[in-house]
Amino acid sequence: MSYENKIMQLKKMLGKKKEQHSEQPSYQKPEKPAYISNWEKAGLSIVENDFGVVFHRQVRYPFTYQHGWYQLQQFFQAVEKWEQTNFHHPYAISSEETVLFFDTETTGLKGVGTQIFLIGLLGIDEEEFVLNQYVLADPANEAALLFESKLWQWGNTIVSYNGKSFDWPQLEMRWTFHKNFLPKLQTPRQIDLLHSSKRIWKNHLEKVKLTKVEEEKLGFKREHDIPGFLAPIIYADAVKSGNAIELMKVLQHNEWDILSLLTLYIHSTNLLLDHALQDDAVTYINIGKWYDDLKERQQSEKVLLSVTNQFDVKESGLAYFYLAFQQKRNKQFLESIESFQKAIHIIDERKKLKAFEQLAMLYEHQMKDYSKALQYTIKGIDLLQQATFFNENQKKKQLETWDKRLQRIKKKNGKLFHTFE
Amino acid sequence: MKKKRTIDELVREWQEDEEIKQNIAHIVTMEGREGQYADFPEHLHPSIKKALQERGIKKLYTHQRQAFDLALAGKSFTAITPTASGKSLCYHLPVLQKILEDPSSRAIYLFPTKALAQDQKTDLNHLIDAMDEEIYSYTYDGDTAPNIRQKVRKAGHIVMTNPDMLHSGILPHHTKWVSLFENLKFIVIDELHTYKGVFGSHVAHVLRRLLRICHFYGSNPVFICTSATIKNPKELAEKLTNTKHELISQSGAPVGKKTFIFYNPPIIHTTFGVRKSSILEARDLAAKLYQAGIQTIVFAKSRVSVERLVTYLKQLTKNKIADESIQGYRGGYLPSERRQIEKGLRDGTIQIVVSTNALELGVDIGQLQACIMTGYPGNIASAWQQAGRAGRRQDSALVIYVANSTALDQYVVNHPDYLLGNAPEEALINPDNILILMSHLKCASFELPFSTNETYGEFEVQELLEYLQEEGVLVKTNAHYYWMSDRFPAHDVNLRSAAGENVVIIDQTIPAGTKVIGEMDTYSAMTLLHEEAIYLHQGVQYQVEKLDWEEKKAYVREVDVNYYTDANLAVELKVLSEDKSAMYQNVTVSYGDVSLVAIPTIFKKIHMTTLDNIGSGKIHIPPMEMHTNATWISFDLPENWSEEMLTDALTGAAYAIGSFIPLYIQCDRNDVTVVPQVKSVHNEKPTLFIYDSYPGGIGLSEKVYDLLVPILELTIEHVLSCPCEYGCPSCIGAQDNLSDGKSRVLKILKILFNEMM
Repeated sequence: MSYENKIMQLKKMLGKKKEQHSEQPSYQKPEKPAYISNWEKAGLSIVENDFGVVFHRQVRYPFTYQHGWYQLQQFFQAVEKWEQTNFHHPYAISSEETVLFFDTETTGLKGVGTQIFLIGLLGIDEEEFVLNQYVLADPANEAALLFESKLWQWGNTIVSYNGKSFDWPQLEMRWTFHKNFLPKLQTPRQIDLLHSSKRIWKNHLEKVKLTKVEEEKLGFKREHDIPGFLAPIIYADAVKSGNAIELMKVLQHNEWDILSLLTLYIHSTNLLLDHALQDDAVTYINIGKWYDDLKERQQSEKVLLSVTNQFDVKESGLAYFYLAFQQKRNKQFLESIESFQKAIHIIDERKKLKAFEQLAMLYEHQMKDYSKALQYTIKGIDLLQQATFFNENQKKKQLETWDKRLQRIKKKNGKLFHTFE
Repeated sequence: MKKKRTIDELVREWQEDEEIKQNIAHIVTMEGREGQYADFPEHLHPSIKKALQERGIKKLYTHQRQAFDLALAGKSFTAITPTASGKSLCYHLPVLQKILEDPSSRAIYLFPTKALAQDQKTDLNHLIDAMDEEIYSYTYDGDTAPNIRQKVRKAGHIVMTNPDMLHSGILPHHTKWVSLFENLKFIVIDELHTYKGVFGSHVAHVLRRLLRICHFYGSNPVFICTSATIKNPKELAEKLTNTKHELISQSGAPVGKKTFIFYNPPIIHTTFGVRKSSILEARDLAAKLYQAGIQTIVFAKSRVSVERLVTYLKQLTKNKIADESIQGYRGGYLPSERRQIEKGLRDGTIQIVVSTNALELGVDIGQLQACIMTGYPGNIASAWQQAGRAGRRQDSALVIYVANSTALDQYVVNHPDYLLGNAPEEALINPDNILILMSHLKCASFELPFSTNETYGEFEVQELLEYLQEEGVLVKTNAHYYWMSDRFPAHDVNLRSAAGENVVIIDQTIPAGTKVIGEMDTYSAMTLLHEEAIYLHQGVQYQVEKLDWEEKKAYVREVDVNYYTDANLAVELKVLSEDKSAMYQNVTVSYGDVSLVAIPTIFKKIHMTTLDNIGSGKIHIPPMEMHTNATWISFDLPENWSEEMLTDALTGAAYAIGSFIPLYIQCDRNDVTVVPQVKSVHNEKPTLFIYDSYPGGIGLSEKVYDLLVPILELTIEHVLSCPCEYGCPSCIGAQDNLSDGKSRVLKILKILFNEMM
């Protein structure tokens, strides 16, 4: 492009911008709150940017910092472990990524009247982990908070607890109010550890509240923590009274949440990738099932096999059940039959019915052992008839299918006898 | 079964029938009118033209054309659209035109109920299909599946919803609806006339909040309203939307021939002026129409009368197996039941439907030939809505109005001009109701912070915001008030009732299969769902076994008894402040704030056919307290009157006055209550209180303050001309003993009237 052309193009762009500029009202910088020195005394520092003021607290942790059973630097080993795997997983992080552990506190639960008053971000420096907490100076200085968080910058991987369905949509909602002035908020890669925790500890932990997971799995017990539901009230009080002493407890709460986020990531990675088992059979069966759903069959089989190897039949019944499907898929029919048979006495009724069905199919189609097939079909029908987990309609439909199977196998079985005679 | 006949044949037959003839007070035939048409607008988009032509529409009605021109000129308007006048094209055409011109355009359609939105969506989608264009219209309400909500928000050109959803589901989440609010061109309000009273006052605020959010996003939508005939459509629309409106008052749609029969049940007791029950008469007339094969809708005023009529009429089909040809339809039925009935009406498997005013609204049930109104529905607008249900497609139609014994009914049945002349009532709303205003001001603060010089709608609210700041729900910074509370204020406001939550009705006839069969507002529940009450649902009787008032649950069991129940409500009143007052010699009329305590006292069991009182009991429900507006008239005790004489006379006067208020103001009989006090607490004088039956008041009693003279005049005239001797339900209410009650009531009324003249 010639120099003249380039100039012409630039001019055009300039013109456009001017037009836009004249349309939009310019940003009115809000006044500073009156209680700055009070909040500073409580341990916060004030930051001023183009959009107003925001309070800031920074904490730096050495790599060796211990939080519960883990040192923060074990995160690097976790990343290394992921890089050594040969399969894809939605929770894998590579060393190329810029990771931010992210958690917010809000003034309410839902709706556009709810503001984010605290954004906590834990990142990694050259030699340290660094936590930055940004506190809404007052409701008018919101754009300053959002801008200062730098969450609009591209290329972060955000690790959160329930952030995918709560914190990030909240952030997007707040951003909408200032969309004419703030840089556009991009959608980053998000890893939500609530989802993984639900998968890993299903039927094992009653509640996957972070504080619960912390105590039972990460070896961290909080002392003098404020309950999360008080946070909105404490913030409102700090703004109304100008006193931030109590508010610092909310920052402490947020700090613990974020540190646990990091160690939870380490812990989850270990559970997903380590050979040595360090949790209950249920947990590993969940993990095996998860791999299966992710279509990582080999990995699933590996985990389930190790469960059956290391726990007794009673504990690993469900593992046998899932394993049996893998084995059938691998055409290891005898192994599959054996696994189903082991599982039958332990698994719940619904799965038991499934197992009888599979066994009947395996015996009929693969083993051609019609009397065995018949046995399992009859067992299945018996179970179905007394089952309470289907409604009448479903039951009727199911019974029809089972009856077809029964008639077919009877016929095959009869033929067989016939030829023998 | 007798042979089928046409309406005209049937009417001729009745006019010659000795028994029926004498009950017909008047027959008025209104001839049909040709339609008035206008050409398609020149720039009407070809796709719309095509779709209309496919439907056989080659021209528009004049009002549809006017609507199109006004809307596209950016002028808000209200169109008066009688039933079956093609009102939906008044808004579909300009909205679709705009979207075709600029696909980023958006519109909101507001319907008073979910059911109406569903109906209109079907209708609109047929039109859009015929246009063959990519236009998306969706309903958005509590039933909308979560997985398509996102799509509705981002891509819906036309969002059909109801005020409740707008209030708590859309406005408090406006950032999810940016593309709607940035591009909102039209707000369509269908059935405008239903936005009156408490509900209308709430909706007025929901719309102010909506406009506020539109302005934030830079849009400036035009309002399109359609309304049934009321006296003040323009005023109502302007007050509701806080926007200037043009009025389209003339419908160009053709009208079929309509025969009105004013039917007055025979007097069975001359002295007491007792007439045969209108419900029993309506039953007999409906049976005749049924046998003549004429599809009929019967309107009754209350849920109880609907259920009684259904029970009676089902006798007609009791020997047929699985016959569904007679059905009830009212609020309180579950949506699935209602859909079923609507379908039956359309496909003709239902012959007679008995309904409360739930069907007044434009639910599309197709053609019905006859309509029976059991009792005057309370106002002209409703009466016309009900009458419009008959003969929707230009056919000859029959409307039978069966009068009750009440004063208002007797007036209407003897003055056909009142109903058929063109003087419908006013629909009132009162956005100034401070309780309603405050609750929406909170919602508005939640949605967008108020600046320190901002007004809200037509209101100066700085002081109120200051107050909310002191209350601690707002925080004031230099330039704004911000919401600062973890509450979600929209959840604290129920648009439908000033009282809040509903009572859920649970059927426990089968212990293992208890199920919810309906709900009811708390105020009605006090007198209809107390323990031992007989509650009727689809013609089935239930007895209330337990009422859990705390949890708002009524447990009922199916029973088979020959009585229904009727409950009394006692009311105590205290004057809080007097805003207006007029003093005469011995009479004072005032208007102001009152506080009242309503206490349900006893209920009576009344025999289904003889209407005898066959038992009674106490009601154990805590009193309900309410702060409202009232007009009250105090006067000095006439000389030589005992307090006992006064009690009866005041009760009679209250009864008579209360009957005529709905003649002037569009409200239901129960929206305004007249209560006599022999010795009022505040001035120890005989007083009549006329109060709004809703917390905070809705402007009805204030209107009464101005209209007291004509109301009294009409009342006196009516009591005087009533043929009874000592007073009857048609004038001053039933009297216990034969004395000069009627003359005493007249005396009091005259004292008041003469002084105020």
